[in-house]
Amino acid sequence: MQVYLPIAEMSVDALLLLGIGFGVGWLSGLFGVGGGFLLTPVLILIGIPSAVAVGSGANQTLGASVSGLMAQWRRGNVDVRMGAVLLVGGFAGSAAGVQLFAWLRRAGQVDLAVAVFYIVVLGTVGALMVRESVGAILRRRKARPARLHEHLWIHGLPLKMRFRKSRLYISVIPPLLIGFAIGVLSAVMGVGGGFMLVPAMIYLLGMPTSVVIGTSLFQVVFVTANVTFLQAVQVGSVDIVLTMLLLAGGVIGAQFGAAMGTKLRGEETRALLGALVLAVAAALLWDMLRVPEQLFVIGPAV
Amino acid sequence: MQGTLPRIAPRRRRGTGGRPLLLALVLVLLLPWRAFAQPVPPPVAPPAAPPALAAELSTNRIEVTTAFAGGEILVFGATERLIGQAGDEIIVLATGPATSLVVRRKIQVLGFWINGPSARFNRIPSFWVLAATRPVAEMLGEADREELRLGLDLLQLPQLGGREPSFRAALRELKQSSGLWVDQVRPVQVSGGRLFHARLPVPSTVRTGEYRVQVLLVRQRRVVARQELSLEIERVGSAARIADVAEDLPVLYAVASILLAAFAGWLGSVLFRRG
Repeated sequence: MQVYLPIAEMSVDALLLLGIGFGVGWLSGLFGVGGGFLLTPVLILIGIPSAVAVGSGANQTLGASVSGLMAQWRRGNVDVRMGAVLLVGGFAGSAAGVQLFAWLRRAGQVDLAVAVFYIVVLGTVGALMVRESVGAILRRRKARPARLHEHLWIHGLPLKMRFRKSRLYISVIPPLLIGFAIGVLSAVMGVGGGFMLVPAMIYLLGMPTSVVIGTSLFQVVFVTANVTFLQAVQVGSVDIVLTMLLLAGGVIGAQFGAAMGTKLRGEETRALLGALVLAVAAALLWDMLRVPEQLFVIGPAV
Repeated sequence: MQGTLPRIAPRRRRGTGGRPLLLALVLVLLLPWRAFAQPVPPPVAPPAAPPALAAELSTNRIEVTTAFAGGEILVFGATERLIGQAGDEIIVLATGPATSLVVRRKIQVLGFWINGPSARFNRIPSFWVLAATRPVAEMLGEADREELRLGLDLLQLPQLGGREPSFRAALRELKQSSGLWVDQVRPVQVSGGRLFHARLPVPSTVRTGEYRVQVLLVRQRRVVARQELSLEIERVGSAARIADVAEDLPVLYAVASILLAAFAGWLGSVLFRRG
């Protein structure tokens, strides 16, 4: 069944979009991440223009994260204070990111920028995740206890603030910077950034894992809302029909994924997610290295 | 009637006098014959000559709805004489609204293929489809073809930026592979000798706007009649409303997108918990 996307100005098979939404939702439910990092590349792969894939991907991630945030909120797993600090950085970052995106679009390098961001970010995060989780699995085998709390250079910075729920007394500079970086990535890659925010909160800020998911969802929902707003107003690249089709498949898929996720151990899940992230990065890298089928591309004159 | 003209012409050249006499003579000669062949209509007001060409579109509006997956422009009509190599021939050219495009060439930098030099093409047709009863190059001379731009190779593509002709060639090739520029892939169909029709495919990526369809009648390597038709391709229904709101009221559209996505996510989780 073909459906016409009014902003992308093309028609796509609705079942294909529902299927992609389902698949990404399933993985995001399984791993507890938004799945935007998979969605945007897949949309570009099926021929959706990069700008529309990024804008609508951010909008889809917003919808996919809302229900998770509500569930975490009810359980009291959201550190609002930490979330607000991250968000201040996130708003600034996403505003800067959308400007960067608009500039790249004029320069005709959106495709390159999106691909490079994905390869660098996913490659780094995937490698770190695999290393960490494999290490954890090996440690578990050897039954060596891990250190509870590590003191890093980050803890010596000024402007300290108390985050009760996270049981932290740290400088606001690291969360602001992390929020800013995730905001930029969110705008350029059309992702929520949960897959990076979660490790950053655990390893860089030292937050307890119980509040990490809820707080990252808090940040993701508001940053993707900001990206959706800015992309829609400045670039005009949010296709609501595309978003809704992806969400319809995604919401269902997420439930199946979450049900399956409870059967897997944390370390194994993280190792699998890391491998998946690496695979996406490798596929995108290969796409840039191989000789293109078409040496010429047509783009709109901006 | 036509047969009598050559007979008159030489006499007129020879003498200036005696024109009324001549007319009377012709009438006398003609009247009995016409009365014999066609006894019913009075000879005083001869019927208007039938048009050499009559063409029409099956619709003057193509609606782009949320279920739009492409369509076609159906041009049909009739000629005065028989269509064929010796008689009339038909050329149909449809063009869409002008657009500006940038063509970029990929170059290899440090092993990566990235977008490199570019050329900009201003005011080129977003849609261009040519069809004819026979290859246009066979029915018209080079000068006529060039003047009427009947051929993708004759389409004017002013190029800004990169000087290489490869950009222009790439533009033609990419536009053709997307089905937006079509140069005589399917001929104009003829039925019953004088009826013709052409189906011009419209892909779903087509631009909305005013489309022009020219129908040309070619006789003895010359364009003897032409007809200009037009149709509108426009978004209707929810597709139109969404695109209009996104363009005219971007802030409202952005807020609505955020709220809709959030609502859909919330609704999904509620529905699943119940089920």
